[in-house]
Amino acid sequence: MQVCVPGRDGDIYAAPGASFQRIHVRTFVAEVVRVSVAAEEELTEDEHAGLELVRETGGIHQSDFWKELGVSSRKGSRIVESLVEKGLVDREDTIYNGHNTYYVSPTARDLEFSLLMAGDMLSPFIGEEEVDGNSDAFSQWIMNLAYEE
Amino acid sequence: MAFEDLLEDPVIQKYLHELVGPKGMPVAAAPPDGEVTDEELAEELDLELNDVRRALFILYENDLAEYRRLRDEDSGWLTYLWTFHYENIPENLEEEMHRLLAALEDREEYERNHEFYLCEVCSIRFEFGEAMDFGFECPECGSPLESMDNDRLVTAMDDRLAALREELNVESGA
Repeated sequence: MQVCVPGRDGDIYAAPGASFQRIHVRTFVAEVVRVSVAAEEELTEDEHAGLELVRETGGIHQSDFWKELGVSSRKGSRIVESLVEKGLVDREDTIYNGHNTYYVSPTARDLEFSLLMAGDMLSPFIGEEEVDGNSDAFSQWIMNLAYEE
Repeated sequence: MAFEDLLEDPVIQKYLHELVGPKGMPVAAAPPDGEVTDEELAEELDLELNDVRRALFILYENDLAEYRRLRDEDSGWLTYLWTFHYENIPENLEEEMHRLLAALEDREEYERNHEFYLCEVCSIRFEFGEAMDFGFECPECGSPLESMDNDRLVTAMDDRLAALREELNVESGA
């Protein structure tokens, strides 16, 4: 589906009716998102391999991470540190084989969202409070899945 | 405009469209950098103020926008300053993938454990018990009900279930 994105050539802040002074603060998060996209292109070779490993495994303990990657634990930890900072992976504390370590996982951004689609139909539960597995809309979605893919 | 990379994803476009509807789509599809008022958006996008507000509040309910209020000291009027938070879209869609997975699990079990009969004229499907109650005749048109094979549905559901579990790192058979 193509969505027509309206042109934004006019300066929105100069719109008539903007009657007060405003500080033009860019949202912090918007910056982070932009940085993370750019960041991926600037990774070192090791960081790139590390990111690929996290994505391939779908999540890995840090103690396995550096072994798989064939680097020292100290280096592995620096790689993870850097990927977390760039917002490319998530990291949480965990206990694994009796010792404290981190679990390193891909961010939600990496998920294959097209799994919500059946043909050109989106999951019918989006925007709905309740999930009704017997709704007509879901039946239609399943028919699409079986006959249109 | 912010979040261009997210908005390039056709699934995300569809998701936003599903939330705000066609009238709200110009608002949802062009999140500005920084803060913006509903009036500025209406002016910029040439939309009714009500449609803009409706879209903004739907985004707000889905954690995709927030506002702060300013009171104009002279007029006493309140101004709503909106910030878009599309960085939450991936987490929202992840949650939707989990909801879809749960629904598919239930439905797959139901499809596997029931036999179905179909009226080919009306395209209505009946469970075996219902079909028997109707004497294997369609209650709408009286045509005979034919046994219906749902293997293809079950296979398609199984494939998608496996893909979702793999993607979400979820064990099967919960």
